[in-house]
Amino acid sequence: MLASRATVHANHDLTRWVMISVLALVTLLPPPASAGGVPGPQAAVNSAPARHTLITTSRYTLPAILLVRDDDKTVSLPEEVNDGRPVVLNFVFTTCSSICPVMSQVFAQFQQKLGAASEQVHLMSISVDPEEDTPARLREYARKFHAGPGWQHYTGTLEASLAAQRAFNVWRGDKMSHSPVTLLRRAPDQPWVRIDGFVTPDELLQTYRGLSGPSGGETLATR
Amino acid sequence: MNAWRVAATKLLLLAMLATAAHGGTPSAASVGESIYLRGILSSGAPLEGTREAGTTAHAADAACVNCHQRSGLGSREGNLSTPPITGDYLFHEHTHGPAEPVLPYVESMRHREPYTDATLARAIREGVDPTGRQLSYLMPRFTIGDSDMAALIEYLKKLAVHRVPGVTDSVLHFATVFTPDADPAKREGVRTVLEQFFAEKNKFPFGPSPRMWTSDKTAYSKSMYMAKRRWQLHEWQLTGPASSWRAQLDKLLTEEPVFAVLSGVGGSNWAPVHEFCEEQALPCLFPNVEVPVVADRDFYSVYFSKGVLLEAQLIGQSIVGSDHQVAPRLVQQIYRAGDSGEPAAAALAKQLEQHGISVRSESLPPGPAGRGLAAALRAAARSDVIVLWLRPGEIAALGPAPRGSQIVYVSGLMGGLESTPLPAAWRPQTHLAYPFDLPDRRGVRLDYPLGWFKFRHIPVLAQQAQADTYLACSLIADVLNNHMADSASRAYLIEQLQGMLERRIMTGYYPHLALAINQRFASKGGYIAHFSDVPGDRLVADSAWLTP
Ligand code: HEC
Repeated sequence: MLASRATVHANHDLTRWVMISVLALVTLLPPPASAGGVPGPQAAVNSAPARHTLITTSRYTLPAILLVRDDDKTVSLPEEVNDGRPVVLNFVFTTCSSICPVMSQVFAQFQQKLGAASEQVHLMSISVDPEEDTPARLREYARKFHAGPGWQHYTGTLEASLAAQRAFNVWRGDKMSHSPVTLLRRAPDQPWVRIDGFVTPDELLQTYRGLSGPSGGETLATR
Repeated sequence: MNAWRVAATKLLLLAMLATAAHGGTPSAASVGESIYLRGILSSGAPLEGTREAGTTAHAADAACVNCHQRSGLGSREGNLSTPPITGDYLFHEHTHGPAEPVLPYVESMRHREPYTDATLARAIREGVDPTGRQLSYLMPRFTIGDSDMAALIEYLKKLAVHRVPGVTDSVLHFATVFTPDADPAKREGVRTVLEQFFAEKNKFPFGPSPRMWTSDKTAYSKSMYMAKRRWQLHEWQLTGPASSWRAQLDKLLTEEPVFAVLSGVGGSNWAPVHEFCEEQALPCLFPNVEVPVVADRDFYSVYFSKGVLLEAQLIGQSIVGSDHQVAPRLVQQIYRAGDSGEPAAAALAKQLEQHGISVRSESLPPGPAGRGLAAALRAAARSDVIVLWLRPGEIAALGPAPRGSQIVYVSGLMGGLESTPLPAAWRPQTHLAYPFDLPDRRGVRLDYPLGWFKFRHIPVLAQQAQADTYLACSLIADVLNNHMADSASRAYLIEQLQGMLERRIMTGYYPHLALAINQRFASKGGYIAHFSDVPGDRLVADSAWLTP
């Protein structure tokens, strides 16, 4: 119930988007000779960028769900997000071996780059596999990535995790289809900045600094 | 012995093992495997990979298996596609046209010109494919020396899907294992379901219709023999002491090569079968066992749940997370030596002691039901909590109710779930560990299998084990028919199962099932429940679904 209402409210006012594309190296080899002059099937893939991110801004309505934080405390999602600090949020799971380690490493490096200010930014990682990811497992995962005090991991019931994923429009049918998304917000009255794709620590820092600028969400990092 | 000597001895041992196994220098295969699976180079140094802008991959986290999977066939998850990198996919000319393609269809396969050893090494080191295309960000750029690279490439070539034992052009062979200590009624019930399922699968092969496949896949439809093969079941009944099972299993596998072990029934010791499957790289799918093997690094055994070990966690969480008025200080457990309660009691004792709760565990001598029970119960009189790992016959004969302030926990799996014959006087203070969805919530999900049994006059001798067996068969049929094309790789079977399970709606006794790489227990939770006041078998949950 909660979840479907949240999805409807997730209001994608796409105010501005920036495509960061680190394009493929210029073709190093001559294209293969294809028999009879028929273009080879590889022609189409050649132009695919190695990495691209899409930055948009959105307003999301967060359901009043309860999550369990990695210190075993039961907390409310809206209260955790509105704790007075800017928030940087992502979704991971501890047995995910492909994309999550990259996302968590980016959070770790971002936190390091913040230096002394790191505790003034609230990093939140919500599990998309909450039944497997007990608070103890999350603590172990956080330790592995040297998470500092400003970075918490969250689990809860399957329903709560789903509701959170739906509220931020990241639910893609199951945890296996989960894709890299990073969400930032300076303050509760500001829109969320959403980065789809693999962001680097430097880009994340730039985007974060853009948030904190005088015009808030209007200053977005570009490249 | 000092640390240096320990390390030196270990190294020496390793070197000797490697030499012994391959009669010379460590084989390329073992070096390649260690890079691929564990991210360790031949020097013992960790594998290192980097990405643009400073994220790195290190040691086990850098290992190819994390993304390309154990089968080497990659995966397709959402919009993330990790290509197959077994030799056949890397080096073969991919014909693209009306002709029947050489290679089985894999969702994430690429169409590009074939690699050579040199362009492959370049791809792994610099992230550039043979056409000059830069590989995407997620794929690290690895630092690997020439001889290690050669070994890794050798390993990838060997990973190619060759003929797999137990798979012929027309038949898929499965085994099911019954240990001698398996409950006879359970074994009979499970066997009947398996035989019926196989008979019907062969009578009405329900392969994917070619129309189900989009145009790009239809080119491969001819190679989708997975769905079309007949299934053959081999029943492996073990005999004698557990120490002799391994030899029996090895012999059976040699005589009757099978693609996978499906279902089966164990008693309190399944470890020899589990280890056999791991060592033979043989999928061992959803056996009906109360005490599965919990080993973090294993891959080929997949269970519905942790059984009594999950019950121990549920009971532990309930005792520690005390909604009880007075925090319990002394817990008394009773189990029969050699039965499934023994490892469960050990696990629970360990958990409670970490929380400063004293645990006394009374082991009843093996033998007829009831022996030693009355004395054990008398000894439990002074404890705050009694935990009973007992069978129905003993539960029925528990005698006078315990002191009013004592809390009692009973293993539902061992006691008979909602049919646990708990004496009326014990009911008010007794809680049942229940590692399934509650009866009144799982109704719809069980209608189909129970109807299936009824229509075929299959006697219901052990409903939960039989329903799990039906579920296991239908899951594997689903994976083979809809998720595997013709890649008859045992590892790929496990990987595809891990990927598809979460979307299943028909999940029998379980509210939902899910797996992932490095997960082997599909259902993670359960209830602590009690019998409602009305006489009968109605259970009421003490709290929400717990995932300890
Ligand atoms: C973190 C995940 C990850 C790890 C670890 C990883 N890869 Fe990859 N690999 C990928 C992805 C994703 C692609 C697809 C890249 C693309 O589409 O541009 C890829 C592509 C490749 C390709 C190109 C395949 C083709 O068809 O062109 C090769 C070869 C390859 N990887 C080999 C390896 C080897 C060998 C290792 C271990 C030493 C490894 N990879 C480790 C994710 C990974």
